[in-house]
Amino acid sequence: MRPTVTLAETPWRFPTPHVTTLANGLTVWLFDLPDQHVAAFELTQPVQLADEPAMLEGLATVALRALDEATSAHDDIQALLDGQGAALHASARLHATRVGGLVPARRWSALAPLLTEVLTAPAYRPEDLDLHVESLITSHRTAMTTTAGAAQWALRAGLHGLDQRAGRPLAGTPESLARITRDDALGWHHTQYSPAGATLVLAGAIGDVDLGALEAWSGPTHRSPALIPDPRPGRVLVVDVPGAVQATVRIGLRSIGRLDPRWAAARIAGHVIAGGFASRTNLELRERLGYTYGVSGGFHPGLHGSTLQLSTNTRTDVAGDAVRRLIDATRLERDFGDAEVEDAKSYRIGIAPLANETSADIAAQAATLAEAGLPASHVDDATDALRGVTAAAATAAWRELVDPDELVIAVAGDAERLLPQLDDLSPEVVEPS
Amino acid sequence: MPSYPVSTTTLDNGLEVAVLPSESPAVTVNLWYSVGSADEDAGRTGFAHLFEHLMFEGSSQVAPGEHMALIESAGGTVNATTSADRTNYFETVPPGALELALWLEADRLASLDISEEHFAAQRDVVKEEKRERYDNQPYGDLLELLIGQHFPADHPYGHLTIGSMADLDDAELADVDAFFRRWYRPANARLVLAGAVGPEEGFALAERHLGTVPSAPARTPRSVSDVALHPPSELRVERDVPYSVSYLSWQLPPAADPAHPAIDLALSILSDGHASVLHRALVADQRVAQEAHASLLTNQHAPSLAMVLTRPSAGTSTEVAADAALETLRRFAETGPDPEAFARARAQVERDWLWQLASTTDRADAANEAWALWGDPARINTQLDEMLALTPDGVQQAVARWLAPSSAHRLHYVAGEH
Repeated sequence: MRPTVTLAETPWRFPTPHVTTLANGLTVWLFDLPDQHVAAFELTQPVQLADEPAMLEGLATVALRALDEATSAHDDIQALLDGQGAALHASARLHATRVGGLVPARRWSALAPLLTEVLTAPAYRPEDLDLHVESLITSHRTAMTTTAGAAQWALRAGLHGLDQRAGRPLAGTPESLARITRDDALGWHHTQYSPAGATLVLAGAIGDVDLGALEAWSGPTHRSPALIPDPRPGRVLVVDVPGAVQATVRIGLRSIGRLDPRWAAARIAGHVIAGGFASRTNLELRERLGYTYGVSGGFHPGLHGSTLQLSTNTRTDVAGDAVRRLIDATRLERDFGDAEVEDAKSYRIGIAPLANETSADIAAQAATLAEAGLPASHVDDATDALRGVTAAAATAAWRELVDPDELVIAVAGDAERLLPQLDDLSPEVVEPS
Repeated sequence: MPSYPVSTTTLDNGLEVAVLPSESPAVTVNLWYSVGSADEDAGRTGFAHLFEHLMFEGSSQVAPGEHMALIESAGGTVNATTSADRTNYFETVPPGALELALWLEADRLASLDISEEHFAAQRDVVKEEKRERYDNQPYGDLLELLIGQHFPADHPYGHLTIGSMADLDDAELADVDAFFRRWYRPANARLVLAGAVGPEEGFALAERHLGTVPSAPARTPRSVSDVALHPPSELRVERDVPYSVSYLSWQLPPAADPAHPAIDLALSILSDGHASVLHRALVADQRVAQEAHASLLTNQHAPSLAMVLTRPSAGTSTEVAADAALETLRRFAETGPDPEAFARARAQVERDWLWQLASTTDRADAANEAWALWGDPARINTQLDEMLALTPDGVQQAVARWLAPSSAHRLHYVAGEH
């Protein structure tokens, strides 16, 4: 007989950080997790890509990537960081720049002054900037030869328009990257790198942490406000990737934010449509039709608002049919039912502790909340809000929020074979410049 | 170094069970079957992986696709992977769903039941997976070329686990039953439970569900094939990609060989990060490359492969970049690592290993891998110490022995003219 699933007796809670603000304005969230022997940190700054000089898009990414190549004090800062067992990662997104990483928890205090040094005094040697510019140009060119990269470019351009920063590649283009000079990098660093409005999240078996090293970091107090791009109307865009054996389909729609009263219902609705293995679209396109290795999607929150997404890769000859079926799914001809809504709820509620198991999980989630100006407890509020979602509420939210005519649909692949399949959708062929 | 308690038992039907309790919101069920693409019949490449997909498509008490849906609605994750050596199924679930997960594993092991319709659909899914991972990617045929440089086509390890489209098209529903009966037996499986479960409970639940599956003799252990591998060669191909890359590769001992920790440490010193030997020599000093990376393809019952990739700088040929890499390795084999580089690599190994044990999902898999390679899942508790006991001399000797220029295979993957 099939075993029943027994629920946890007490609901799981996201850990509570110890929050302090240093004298230099840096906010610190500390999560002491004694079982996590590898500590994870995320330092997020409210840097706006819209502040990049017009012809130098990608500057934020170059200045970020080259931070840890060398500092004024240490040509060999990389070796020093490696010597603490650190692994770093970084990302410059529209409204936030993050530097993060992993380090054995016992070595955090030795890493902290090195991190401060990297934030404060990167050397930006010309050869290091050249290396990262070349690497970003290479990545861009290579990505544009793939259906995934081309569709991602087109989706972004369609959602926000090429006339807005959000509609253009976050890491710039080969043309803009090639213009970047050392003075540009130094200037960016000088005006943008600051503890003002920034948050450091540190999670792991850190015990009593001495944050003195980080107090040495200083910078300008000005922070540009986050400008939310204007929405753009629905379109169907095709990018030609000649000879591609698959098409990448990316569908997007800008939508409500986390604090909207319909957010919980929208999350559940999005999960039922495209979120998990058992979503309507995955069961149809993968399991029943064998068109694809998988469909993914749902409402993905941003700083303000969210994007509803549906994504898949299909063989070229069925791409048109796949697009049609995905659009049909968004029409919601069949209301959400109790069973699929309850399954989505129990997934989202049940998975929360598992998705927040490691120090890195906690640090990443916390950094996202800090960027959105939300407390750590928001995770619990959001999870609790899911419990009350009904099939009727999910259906109502979807119908209010999703107009299939407003969808931005990007299809990248062999245009010669795709265009006839998409003819009735009036596709526009677009080309990354 | 944290130590995880490990308890093991063997059920009457031959299934081996290990339990690794820890404070966790989750419990992972990780099952390794000792069958992989190295066991495929000629003309049926890709079948072990296709079969992995089919394991989710119905058994006597579970509808097609229902396994994944049930785990998801219990608040868990579920997936599977196939390699040359083994097929791995795993679920990470809240503790209240542990029994359900084991029941699902038992039902499909006992009574897998696939229809023609679902067989055909999963075959299409696997073909799309191949397109997505390989055929629709720039450099997508690199791995196939590298394997082909070393292994003859009729060697058990001489083909990609994903298989070929032609062989996938030739596969039939009747093959599924034969494959299932031959390989999917309790005595060919090892179960690791990690996280919020104790040995008593874990063993009892394993016995209650998987213990009821009828026994059948264990497979004969795979022996190392006597098909000889290819000697060093140089291969040049032109492809429609934006950038040329050079690959050097070498044959190493099989995965469980004691030579591997020193080779791992050597490759880390040689290629991890911008303070690495290859980056400093080829990228920073000589400027013949924009990047250099190393990777390993590990095989349990055949030579493993070490690979070093360099992407030449503008105006540099793949030949020049390859020669520079080999010269760097030759010099390293003579002098060994400098003490600071050695110390750094040890610090990186510590973090890397601790990180592999940080989640129940990864820890369970590490335990099953140690079990397969060395017959002891508890070896996860000593592997870091073994790495930290290595010496600079040991690293130097590993490079001299295993990464010698004379035994390097060269592949020039050249961006074609448009």
